[in-house]
Amino acid sequence: MDTLHDPHEMKEASTASLVAVVAVLIGTALAFTLATGPFTKLLGAGAGAVPAAFHGMMAFLFLFVGTIGLYLGWRLMVGRIRAFADLQLLSVVAATFSFLAIVAGNWLYIYYRAPVPESPRSVFLKTVPEVHKIFFEFKEFGALFTLPLTVCAAFILWRYGAQILDRPWLRYSVAVLMGLAFFYLVVAFGLGAAVTKLRPA
Amino acid sequence: MTTTLIEAKPDSKNVEVAYPPSRRGHLTDGVAVAALMAAVVGMLTLAVVNIFTAASKGFNAWVHSIGKLWMPGAEGIGPYSGKETLALVAWLASWVILGVVLGGKEMKLSRWLIVFLVGVGIATTLIWPPVFEHLAERIAGH
Repeated sequence: MDTLHDPHEMKEASTASLVAVVAVLIGTALAFTLATGPFTKLLGAGAGAVPAAFHGMMAFLFLFVGTIGLYLGWRLMVGRIRAFADLQLLSVVAATFSFLAIVAGNWLYIYYRAPVPESPRSVFLKTVPEVHKIFFEFKEFGALFTLPLTVCAAFILWRYGAQILDRPWLRYSVAVLMGLAFFYLVVAFGLGAAVTKLRPA
Repeated sequence: MTTTLIEAKPDSKNVEVAYPPSRRGHLTDGVAVAALMAAVVGMLTLAVVNIFTAASKGFNAWVHSIGKLWMPGAEGIGPYSGKETLALVAWLASWVILGVVLGGKEMKLSRWLIVFLVGVGIATTLIWPPVFEHLAERIAGH
């Protein structure tokens, strides 16, 4: 009897099992977090705590995906990419997170610029106007640039498919788009984090 | 000292399958050029609209009214909602138009990528607050 396993007979993990594992891991992490830190304390006491949590989470996930996208974009540019299908998928995920971060950012912006003396915008304009007039305004427009850049990258990757790999300037274009999207993301993320530390909404 | 050469083994089961060969027909570079130019049109629209909203209160109010037409919470978001709307419309509309016009054309993508980068650079400069406020003051005649 042959005791060696034939690699062809090994079953791959199903998508359902992968989703289940991820759900269990996230659920466990949330349970531990909520058991050790009250939900209201985690979100903060400000009126914009919930949109701030959503915006921050989307931006963080976008940063995570964008960093991998930057690396795969570089691999594509130099023509040494194996995970081309992963880059295709990642570009769509990046565009989705860009969109969600912008939507949540709009929601949070309502609290940021509320016409009351204690809103972050009012406080900044009264104390350090440069924070709003330069850094926040640059951030709010620069962040929007990530959407057309990531959508454009995803479109080219899916529309051309593997043709890109044999066409250098298409590869360079996608790499440039991923790189620029990462740049505007980091600018917006960094300035947003700084503003939040100075005055949470 | 000996040097070890590690070679990739394409037939090995451990090597990730990178991609299947493309079965699609040849697509012209015009499709990519249209997408790139539409993206930069959207970015430039955002930058230019922002300058004029800073220059004119009337235009600023009109831009806000555009946002209020459809965007939830636009009243609280302010004119930013209208700036986003106009940039979005310019981006998507120009993509459709450029896609029709350039879609079937063979173009020199290298040249258009440079045009795209110049456009992104201009848009970035125009959204830098000291720059757009200076331009807005000049437009307003202050």
